[in-house]
Amino acid sequence: MNNSLWLIRREFWENRAIWLIPAVFGGLLIVAALFGHVDIPEVGSRPEARDVGGIFLIAFGLMFFVVMSVYSTWYLLDCLYADRKDRSILFWKSLPLSDTETVLSKLVVGMLVIPVVYFIAADVTSLLAAFILSIRARASLGSSLWQPDVWLQIQVLWLYAIVTSAIWYLPIAGWLLVVSAWAKRAVMLWSILPPLALCIIEKFLGTTVLWQILRQRLFGWPKVAVQGSIHRWAGDHVDPSEIPRSVWRLIDVSGFISNPQVWIGAAVGVALIVGAIQLRMRRTEI
Amino acid sequence: MPALIEAHDLTKRYGAHVALDRANLKVEPGRIVGLIGPNGAGKTSALRAILGLTTYEGQLTVLGREPYRDRTALMGECCFIADVAVLPSWLRVDQAIDFVGGVHPKFRRDRAVALLAKTQITGDRRMRELSKGMKTQVHLALTMAIDAKLLVLDEPTLGLDILARRAFYDALVNDYMDETRTILITTHQVEEVENLLTDVIFIDKGRIVLDSSLDDIATRFVAVSVAPDRLDAARAEKPFYERHILGKVVMYFENVTPEKLAAFGELHTPSVSDLFVARLSGGAA
Repeated sequence: MNNSLWLIRREFWENRAIWLIPAVFGGLLIVAALFGHVDIPEVGSRPEARDVGGIFLIAFGLMFFVVMSVYSTWYLLDCLYADRKDRSILFWKSLPLSDTETVLSKLVVGMLVIPVVYFIAADVTSLLAAFILSIRARASLGSSLWQPDVWLQIQVLWLYAIVTSAIWYLPIAGWLLVVSAWAKRAVMLWSILPPLALCIIEKFLGTTVLWQILRQRLFGWPKVAVQGSIHRWAGDHVDPSEIPRSVWRLIDVSGFISNPQVWIGAAVGVALIVGAIQLRMRRTEI
Repeated sequence: MPALIEAHDLTKRYGAHVALDRANLKVEPGRIVGLIGPNGAGKTSALRAILGLTTYEGQLTVLGREPYRDRTALMGECCFIADVAVLPSWLRVDQAIDFVGGVHPKFRRDRAVALLAKTQITGDRRMRELSKGMKTQVHLALTMAIDAKLLVLDEPTLGLDILARRAFYDALVNDYMDETRTILITTHQVEEVENLLTDVIFIDKGRIVLDSSLDDIATRFVAVSVAPDRLDAARAEKPFYERHILGKVVMYFENVTPEKLAAFGELHTPSVSDLFVARLSGGAA
């Protein structure tokens, strides 16, 4: 346990972007809230005020979630490769730390620690932005951005999203770690080209099974984890009548747990992670 | 006392290329052993196998463990410096001390701090800001602060100037070495280490061509500056190497009694570097 904490700490030393990117991104949103154009319709009834508050928080969360997904992907792809590229792997391997501990620490950072950092950044930013906006647009917004119960629900929704997406995207993370532990160069290309090539070959053979599986894995998380389609109420044309009155109703624990795709994917993910550990054990050279 | 490192038929292949070809070697505790060979001879492959960094064929035990399977436990008792450039550029000196102290049960922080206090290096420096010589000082301080039974150094002074190289070996011998420790050094710069070694292992084309203590070398090998009129008589004793310098002929003999050779000219014990050149270019073994 002690070793794991040191390994995670090391990732923060090495990758200052873990907190710098969300800090800068949050800062930009605050600047936008301070000086941007505020054009918010009058809010009348109480249910409507709750909707505005909920949408506001979810919009903030989603923006951070998108940035986080991009960064996490890059992080997992680079983490094992970087040690081989600068040959520091020979230093890390001179310490009594197992390759399993090392690879798992990177997985945990990529799938849980980074999302939690973004979650905190999203919270801080949205609270500051809500404060600024409600002062700037006092007349029209009233206190609609301050909905303690909605805020609490969003916290739970975020944690739920972190845990379920970590499980759902385990095979993707495993694949990225395998590439990172194996590739001699161009990790980005190696992560994309082999699956893409397989899909193209499959297309010539007249089927698209693999393509469907990949698409479902990459974009299917909201469908599997969130009740109702997330796109309908978070998209460009928000129809207030379709927004659930309570965020609780978005959470679909039993649906997620009972979905065989979740666990088949997780098993594939575990197999790939075991592969990445084996590669880390024998590959010290670039 | 059991050997610290013991290899039987140690073989390492990279595809069709055989980097180590049924190598046998033994390292006893309390020794300073030089693993010496030209570039590409298999030194690094042997060390990688000993340190558990690679798979191999044959039998190998280090501190009673199988290195590849048991690397984590092995690294608790053995440390290594692969070469000067492996400390990550983003790491700060104080972070390095904190980290090694955090994960290594045998690391003595006060010792590392004391060793670094003797240098110009402060804790807030990042590795990328340090010169090669300074990086080596940091790495050596981290390593010497670990109470390890075995220290492995792979070309530790590569790319360092003469001052830094001298400082490195002086620190190693004066501040680190005692009878409880064993050091295994690989290098192709023989002259630099020959005065501190107690044993040498020569490796060439993946095979061990000599494994001997320096004391044995003195009794086993003799170099003779042969007088011009005794050349043919000396050649009859089958020297394994002959060297012509400035009109003088020096011949190297193995297991020939000095009494016999004294008749040919002046005798002396060959230095490790002479022997290395003689053994590897003479085509013996």
